[in-house]
Formats: sequence, C-alpha cells, structure tokens
Amino acid sequence: MDLQRVAELALTALKREGADASQVIASRTALTEVNINLSEPSLLRSTQSQKLTLLGLWDGRKASTELSDLTPEALSVAASALRADAAAAPQDAANGVSSGQGIAIARGPLESDLSALTDAAAELLEFRASHTPSMTIEEGVASHTRAEAQLLTSGGSHLSRTLGWYGLSVFGTARGPGRDGTVRSSSFNYGGGETEDLRSAPASSRFGVGDMMRELTRSIETKGIADCFGGKFTGDVVLTPMAVATLLEWLHEQVRDMALISGSSVYRDRVGEVIASPLLYLSSRFDGPGIAAISADGFVAPPLQLLNAGRLTTLTPSFYGSRKTGLSHVPTVASGWQLASGATPLADLMQGVHRGAVVGRLSMGNPASNGDFSGVIKNSFAINNGEVGAALSETMINGNVAHMLRDVVAVSAERIDTGGWCMPWVRVSGLHFS
Amino acid sequence: MPQPHAAATATTDYIETRRHTLRKMRMLMVDGNLTTNLRSTEAGVSARVHQGGYWGFAALPGAGTVEQVAQVQQQALGNVQAMRRFGAKSTLALPGGSYVGEHLYRGKSELTPAQCNERLQALHAYCKQRYPGLKSTRFLLSEEHHSKWLTTSRGGDSLSSIQRALCYVTLMAEADDGSPMELNQSLSWKGSAADFDWSPEALAAQLDELHSHLQAKRHAVPARGGMHTVVLAPALAGMLAHEAMGHPCEGDIVLGGAATARLLGESVASERVTMVDIAHTWQGQEVMMPVYVDDEGTPAQDAILIDKGRLTGFMHSRETAERLGQAPTGSARAYAPGDEPLVRMRNTVILPGSSTLAEMVAGVENGYVLMKTGNGQADSTTEFMFGISLAYEINNGKLGAAIRDTTVSGSAIKVLQSVDAVSNDMHWEAAGYCGKKQPMVVSMGGPALRARAHLGGQ
Repeated sequence: MDLQRVAELALTALKREGADASQVIASRTALTEVNINLSEPSLLRSTQSQKLTLLGLWDGRKASTELSDLTPEALSVAASALRADAAAAPQDAANGVSSGQGIAIARGPLESDLSALTDAAAELLEFRASHTPSMTIEEGVASHTRAEAQLLTSGGSHLSRTLGWYGLSVFGTARGPGRDGTVRSSSFNYGGGETEDLRSAPASSRFGVGDMMRELTRSIETKGIADCFGGKFTGDVVLTPMAVATLLEWLHEQVRDMALISGSSVYRDRVGEVIASPLLYLSSRFDGPGIAAISADGFVAPPLQLLNAGRLTTLTPSFYGSRKTGLSHVPTVASGWQLASGATPLADLMQGVHRGAVVGRLSMGNPASNGDFSGVIKNSFAINNGEVGAALSETMINGNVAHMLRDVVAVSAERIDTGGWCMPWVRVSGLHFS
Repeated sequence: MPQPHAAATATTDYIETRRHTLRKMRMLMVDGNLTTNLRSTEAGVSARVHQGGYWGFAALPGAGTVEQVAQVQQQALGNVQAMRRFGAKSTLALPGGSYVGEHLYRGKSELTPAQCNERLQALHAYCKQRYPGLKSTRFLLSEEHHSKWLTTSRGGDSLSSIQRALCYVTLMAEADDGSPMELNQSLSWKGSAADFDWSPEALAAQLDELHSHLQAKRHAVPARGGMHTVVLAPALAGMLAHEAMGHPCEGDIVLGGAATARLLGESVASERVTMVDIAHTWQGQEVMMPVYVDDEGTPAQDAILIDKGRLTGFMHSRETAERLGQAPTGSARAYAPGDEPLVRMRNTVILPGSSTLAEMVAGVENGYVLMKTGNGQADSTTEFMFGISLAYEINNGKLGAAIRDTTVSGSAIKVLQSVDAVSNDMHWEAAGYCGKKQPMVVSMGGPALRARAHLGGQ
C-alpha cells in the first residue's frame, strides 16, 4: 500500500480513538548488500522492511508504538492499544506534536545498481590483494539503500523523504611476522561511509578506507610508551577525523534533551560563550547522502551552526525538551555534521608535535558528565620531534573532553568526508599518556 | 499455521528459513518525566541459501505465509546465483546436525503499561524522598522478546524464544566542585518486567548502596595511572569474559587473524581461570539467554574456551567450524528478522573459584577494587578497555577513597595470566547489547578476579 495512504489511515484511526494530537510515520526500506567475508566475496543480501510509528496524546498523556504490519486492521488495533498505553502514562504539559511543517525531500539513486556494488566489492578485494595482503577484510560491505517515509501530524504537518544512497565499509585486521619472526595481529580498525555516486571514485579511495587498510599493515609490530618515550608523559595528540567525530559526540550529547532535562549539561547556561578553541567551526550538513533535514519529532531542520570560532551558538532541545526546559526549540538531525577545515597542512600538523601520538581511534568509556575520560588509543602511532614512528600498543590517554575542545591548537586543511560527517585532523595539547 | 519445509534443491546445497517476531518495550523516565513510552513489534520471514561456496539471503516483512516463504526462498536463490559473477569458489559441506524441538519461555503474565508506569513513578518518588540531595533520577525499563521458527534443509524444525527485561537506575548528584556526576545500577533478568520484583521495597538495599557510592564519589580522587593490583568485582569479570576473550574466540574473528588463532592449546590464563560460553544450562539451571538451537538449526553445545588456563576452543557457525576443522557449537545467531546469522556469544562466563571477595581485598597492600563498568571494548589482539564508573582505592587491605571515572585496560591474556585469586560467587547480567554488524542480546557472568591491570590516570 502507498505509504502516504497508510499514514493517513493511521492518523484517522488515532483521531477515531479520540487522540488530542498525534503523529504517524510510515516508512519502507529496501537494502541490497554485497558482503565480503574473510577477504572473499561471500553473501548477497536483499531485504525489505517497513514500519509504522504511531504517537498519540490524550489529555497530555503520551504513548507510541511501532509495528511492521501496515494493514488497516493492524493499525486500527494498534491505535486502540495506544490509547490504553497512554492512559497509563503521566500527564505532561510539555508533550506535543509539530504543526504546519511541510517538506518533500527526494534525493539520490533510488534503484540499486548491482553491478556497481559487485564492482566496488571487487575493487576493494583487488586493492587488498595488491597493496595490503597482510590485512584481512573480516567484514566488507557494499550496499544500496532506498528509504522512504511519510510523516503526518494532526497539526497538519506533512514531511516526506525518499532517499537513495550507496554505502561502503571495511572492517579488518592485519597479521604477519614481527621483527623477531613471531606472527602477530594488529588491532582491528574500520572505515566507511555513504555516497550518492558509487562509480565516481575507486572504493579504496573513499572515506579514508585505503589509508586505513595500509596503516593496519604498519601496525602489526607495536611498541609501548616505555619503549617510545621512556614512560608516562604529557604531550600532544593529533586526532584523525574518526577520533574527532567520536570526541564531538560528547558535545552533541551535552546540548540535547537528556542532559538538558536532567540538568547534567555543562553547557546549559553557556550559549554565546566561547567553550572551544577559536579554530573550531561546527555546522550541520543535513543534505548529506542518506540524510534528510527532518527531525525525529516532525520539524524541518534548517542549517545550523553549533560552534562559531569556538563560541556555542545554540542548544538543541527537541520540541518536548524545549517545552520542558523553557529553552528555545532547535530542530536538528543526529547525523550530518562537519567541522570546517583549518589552515594547517596535515604534514605540518604532525611536524608540530614534539612528543605525542597520532590517534586513529579512541577506545574509551562514555566520558563522565563533566567531560572526564580516559581511554586506550588504538590504531595510533608515536610522534617524536615531528616524526611519525612506531605503532603504539597498550597506551592510554586521559583528560577532559571539554578541556580538549578548548585545547585544540591546530586544524588540518585536509578532511575526510564520510557522508554522515566531514572532519579534519586536529591537534590537541596537554594530554596525559600512560 | 503449516510451513513448507525448507528443502535443498538440485541447485542448492543448503537452505534455511526463519520466521522471526521481535517485540520490544521501552519506558524511560527522566526525573519523573516519562520521555519514552514505546512498544514495537517487528515480524519478518527470511531465507538463506548456500550454493557453490556463496550465500544468498532475502527477507520480507510479514508473518510468513506460504507465499512469502516461497518468495524469500526464490529471492535468496536469485541472490546466491548473482554472486557467481565473482567466479567459481569451493563449496562448503557445512557440518552440524539438525534439531527438532520447541523451547519457549513461560513466565508470569506481562505487566500492563499502567503497572510499569506506577512502579517507575514509585521508584522516582522513593529516591527523591529518601535521598533529598539528588539532582535527578533516571529509570529505563526495557523488555525484549524474540520468537524464531526455523526450518532447514537438514531436517531442522524448531521454535524457540528468548525473553529478557532490564531496569537501569541512574542517580545524579553534584560533586564537591559543583560538576554533575552520576552512577547507575543495571538490573536484568529472564522474562518480562513481571518476572522480577523491582519495586522500591525490593530494591531498597541496592538503592541505598548505590546512593552511598554516589556520595563517596562526590569526594573522589583521581586514579594513579599505570599498572596496579586490581580486584575486578564480579560484574567486571563477566565483561572481561565477554569483551576481552570472548570476541577473540569467535570463529570468524579467529579466521580474520585474531591473536587467539595461534594459541589453541597454549596457556592464556592462570590455572585458576576456566571460561565457557554456555549454550543453555549451567549447574542444572537454564541460563539467561538459553540457546538450544542456533539460527542455522545446529544443536547448541557449550563452548569451553579456556580450561584451567589453557585455550581449548572457539565458538562456531557451520562455516567457521568447517574452515577451522572443528565441531560447530551452535553459535550462529541473527538479531532481527532481516538479519543473517553471525557467530555470536550466548552466555559467556568465567567459572567461580574458592576465595571470597573480602579475602581478595584484604590481600592487597596497595591497589584498587573496580566495581562498576559502563561499557567495554576489545580488540583482535585481546587488548581490552572498560570504562570504570565506580572504584575505590585499597590501602593495606582496606577500602580507601572512591576514585573518579577511569578506564582499565590491558592485554586480556596478560591480565588473566596474572590472576591469583578467584571468588566463589557468581554475578550474571544480560543488560545492553553486544555489537558486531548487528546488535545481539547476550548474557555474561563471573566471580571476582584479582589481577594486574593498567588504570588510566595521571
């Protein structure tokens, strides 16, 4: 059945149940996926899924439900059950749905080109065989996704998206003899991203995947910081784009509902203040592959700048969060963020490090509410007097994410664009290595 | 409803068909506000075909009518044939038997949304009244119920279910310097929210203890970075079992080049350490995530990974077992109706020893007891990292100050080789998800361990 028709029927069913306000999303996704397993083509997977999400408000009480059966009978039953669920919920004056929002987004290749997928997988395998033979692609995926959704609310909002995109990802490990002849394994690493044009560049040249595979082969032999630096020290890190993206997740969490409602956000009262290095400009890119500028609660998400020369320009509470906290509502989308490139060539960024490391991946627990963290640096290489040296093992750094954002001293001119994020390398000073 | 048996044809080596229903419930209460109140049902039918060394998989939403089964089987066959464009490949025999049976969890009648909400409200009110200094509370209640009907061309025909519920309790306060800090307690159990008493009265002692730890954290001191003698509380031993040694013992990870690949038969831990991925039963009791038959129709067996310190085995699907020349363990599991089976853990535990936790702490002159972890990651090298959200100093065998959030890390092999005491108790947990292309519900468990490990800090 047509998705818009399903959404309209669902909205009608909720109205029939007496809902004061409601939101429905009818969605359908088709995925085609060529899988590489253990450096061999392995599986072709094609799946279809569909979902109807109903949200209803009765007397300020909210409930939501999701079902994969989109028949009129099923949604009628679900609407009735939802009313009972909501009756059990507490009243909350902050509950509400969007009104008067409208947008129709259609973008990207909507039909899967199977030969493009198999060619991309074959290219990755050829690259591995010829350039990184000691590396095993444990899991590799070349995929196409077509995702459609119709969002309607009782307030007259109608937002639709029809998106098509390709994805590529590689996860693997290198293995081989070290200098003493003993066979060793590298840490694992992964890379990948989304694009609307799979054929415009070789798969291995996208998203930093080829470089990641090469670096794995240089990481079979590792040293600890005692061997590289004589023991614990305080120094600089150069964070690769993936590590930068990890770091910024904490910032996003700090300005969202959970932290704002619970009162744990360290930035709750700091809009307009400089909270990060003046080198940092963080903005949205909600038109990336597979991304629609539509918030989960049914609002059009306009372009947004979160950091402007290190100054926090806004918080991002949802409609509910804004009504709960009294903050201004700022619609946003989880993915689709970019950090502006800087003026420093990557090579110079590295050369500026006296003692430290280039960090490919941060393996760390969730930073504490105040930003404190410690983590193991993975896929990382020692830097001594600007020279990138041995791969590091069993090395930890600790610090505070809020401080790290302030302590960024250089941003690279180069960036990696994965579709979901586009990030440069950044150098941060004053991290404790142990 | 009758289902046509999956049958290999002249053009297929193997076929499996799965009808899978996944029901979830999630209620999140943030400081008394019910911010999430969601129930979901996802039903789908899938087929996976093996032919000429390649796999084809297809899935559709729906309850799995005869027509839908035929459709996904046809699509999976088309997919496997499309893989021929990569050239000829050696076919696989795909060892492993077949299973016919039914294993359904039958717990108490599920709680209504109203009953769940009442209990969440009661927990919030209790905490705010009893601990007036709290800044806020957060309670997450979640249920998850998988029902899978699997048929295979090897004669398998099974109906099985897995059902788990959890409640995360998070208390938030302000540290002495005014910065926010929080601490949480995860409770998980088999069945639905009705199968465990999580009322304020039943949890009173645990809430008091959690609050007491939170107060101690207000004055927390930083950890001293570097190698230390640490007592890993039972909750962490399960994480160590799962993350640090479990993943490197998954057959596909072994084949991918994990450090464990060359260590079979070697000593990888102290003789005090035995580690098992339990299929469904331990000491006569059904475990939290019982897997009697996996999603390839293989009868599930315990996988003894480490026996008294020696690496003895891995976890396998049919394919990884064949590639490594070992017996399948029934470890191929698929998370959602549209997912294909992957090698996954089930109930991964380190078995108890003979010490007590008090004795283990008393035996440490200078070190730390690590009590709670928020998350963990491991590597193919067996290097691991756990975030530590609650820990105390040990000075001359006695507990000292709480320490700030930190991270414990190291090579699991080195850490397990350094184990000099194992407690005689056992902590089980089935909270959260294991991540590996797909999420997965698993359980983990263990006793307390005393070992040498690396703490993050200055």
